[in-house]
Amino acid sequence: MIGIRDLTHVYPGTRRQPARVAIRDLSLDVAEGEFAILSGPNGSGKSTLFRILCGMALPSRGAVTIAGHDLFRHPRAAREAMGVVFQSPAVDKHLSVLENLILHCDLHGLTGAERRTRLDEALGWTDLGARLGDRVDTLSGGLARQVELAKALLTRPRILLLDEPTTGLDPNSRRSFLGALTRIQAERGMTVLMTSHVFAEAEDAGRVAIMKDGVLLAHDTPSALRALLGTEMVVVQAVDAEALERRLVRDLDLAVRRHGDELRLEETENGEGLPLLERILTRYRPDIVSISIKQPTLDDVFVHVTTGATPKVKELRRTGT
Amino acid sequence: MMRVAAALARREFTRFIRQPQRVVGSVAQPVLFWIFMGAGFTGSFRPPGMEGVTYLEYFYPGVMLMMLLFASIFSSITIIEDRDQGFLQSVLVAPVSRLAIVLGKVFGAASIGLSQVLLFAMAAPFLGLSMPFGGVLLLLGGMALASVGFAALGFLVAWGLRSTAGFHAIMMVFLMPLWMLSGALFPVTGGPGWLGVVVAANPVSHALTLLRAPFYAGPAELFATPSYLISLAVTLTWAGGCLAASMWRVERRERGAPITA
Repeated sequence: MIGIRDLTHVYPGTRRQPARVAIRDLSLDVAEGEFAILSGPNGSGKSTLFRILCGMALPSRGAVTIAGHDLFRHPRAAREAMGVVFQSPAVDKHLSVLENLILHCDLHGLTGAERRTRLDEALGWTDLGARLGDRVDTLSGGLARQVELAKALLTRPRILLLDEPTTGLDPNSRRSFLGALTRIQAERGMTVLMTSHVFAEAEDAGRVAIMKDGVLLAHDTPSALRALLGTEMVVVQAVDAEALERRLVRDLDLAVRRHGDELRLEETENGEGLPLLERILTRYRPDIVSISIKQPTLDDVFVHVTTGATPKVKELRRTGT
Repeated sequence: MMRVAAALARREFTRFIRQPQRVVGSVAQPVLFWIFMGAGFTGSFRPPGMEGVTYLEYFYPGVMLMMLLFASIFSSITIIEDRDQGFLQSVLVAPVSRLAIVLGKVFGAASIGLSQVLLFAMAAPFLGLSMPFGGVLLLLGGMALASVGFAALGFLVAWGLRSTAGFHAIMMVFLMPLWMLSGALFPVTGGPGWLGVVVAANPVSHALTLLRAPFYAGPAELFATPSYLISLAVTLTWAGGCLAASMWRVERRERGAPITA
């Protein structure tokens, strides 16, 4: 449903700044009806990719198809198939909720009875019923996001693109927004591609793609990504993480990943974590602030993939004694 | 396409009338300007060939032009605000033609300018200014054409800018001289030769002709007057050119740099 092929985007240089590669040879497919999350650290190229997918920017090279339409040759046909929720508000805050939605209907040629049906349908997914006459700038952050979602749903899009839609929301609003999104996606069989750097949001996704420095580093189901790190991992908070990392590698020949003050020993299989923890604790107790065993989460996968010098997860071999 | 343009224009106008301070300020300021300047210059206003015309009367179309010029152009500032506040991106990703976006914004800005001038026009009978129905239509047509041209110019400049302060600065540098050298403030007849050239080349002075002439001649007479027809052609070309250039700007999308290696 969304096909990205060999996409490269280079921001042109200026007199003050050299040209900068934002996306490098990226290929990615999102199948029909799939809920995909695109994640990556700040500056990884997510927003640039989002702008390209919305048809707001043309890449240096590559092709994108949206619902079978070449986005760059037939942008209008591609736009008709998609709804977009931007990270920043994209409504007129001087107008009421209903006025904003009607304006959006006008932009998409929805009038008369069809408009009323679509409005009822889109508003049915939200808690905006009692606030339709209120100006958007009087709404809470959560409700303002719901206006964005309702606006995107008015056109019954086959594809929904969302750019970090939960940024700035409190946990309850975030849960509520994502709950509604998940229900809509399941009911309509919509294809959803959402950028996010909150990995808790990715647990329910069909597939998760992780970008860094414009390169796609991983793209798989959440469970497959977690499996890259084994079933258990030992996490050590050290007094001096760098020094302890050197000693673990030298003394025990362990593959260690350092993330700030934290050392991670990944790819530990079921039952292997506890003996490893005991061994480390016995030998380096004075150097350790805390030590624990945990099941890898998508957050851990994100940290693993986007930090450290080791590029391929499976090449990390546990070689402890 | 026109439905989309109308929806966007309606939005502009709704935003305008929901800001009472803006409505009052945009009308009161030119009116005060007109009254004070008129009071000051009426005694000394004796241009050759304009006997019997008071400065208040002379300056009246000039104030109309000022209102159209400034209101139409500064209403285009909402483009910068729309970009800042995110609204513009939702319009740009909608499956609508770029011409509809340009027309919507331009017609919206022009309607704001026109509404202000129409309020001001209520003062005309008190000056003893009257015109036949055909003249009223001609005046309205001239005002609409001029305001669309000015709004399209505002759109063209605002589209490439990120700061409203920058837009104000740029527009004031160009607008004030254009307006002052249009004949709105003082008659340009009898001035130095270069002034005549500047006025003839200034599109704003042609727009002024479209506004002033219907007060003194009927449609039949005006359409037989070469200078009026030239002004009409210049204003039409100006408005069409600015609209076309705005379209071209909106069609252009951010493009990645070509890869040479």
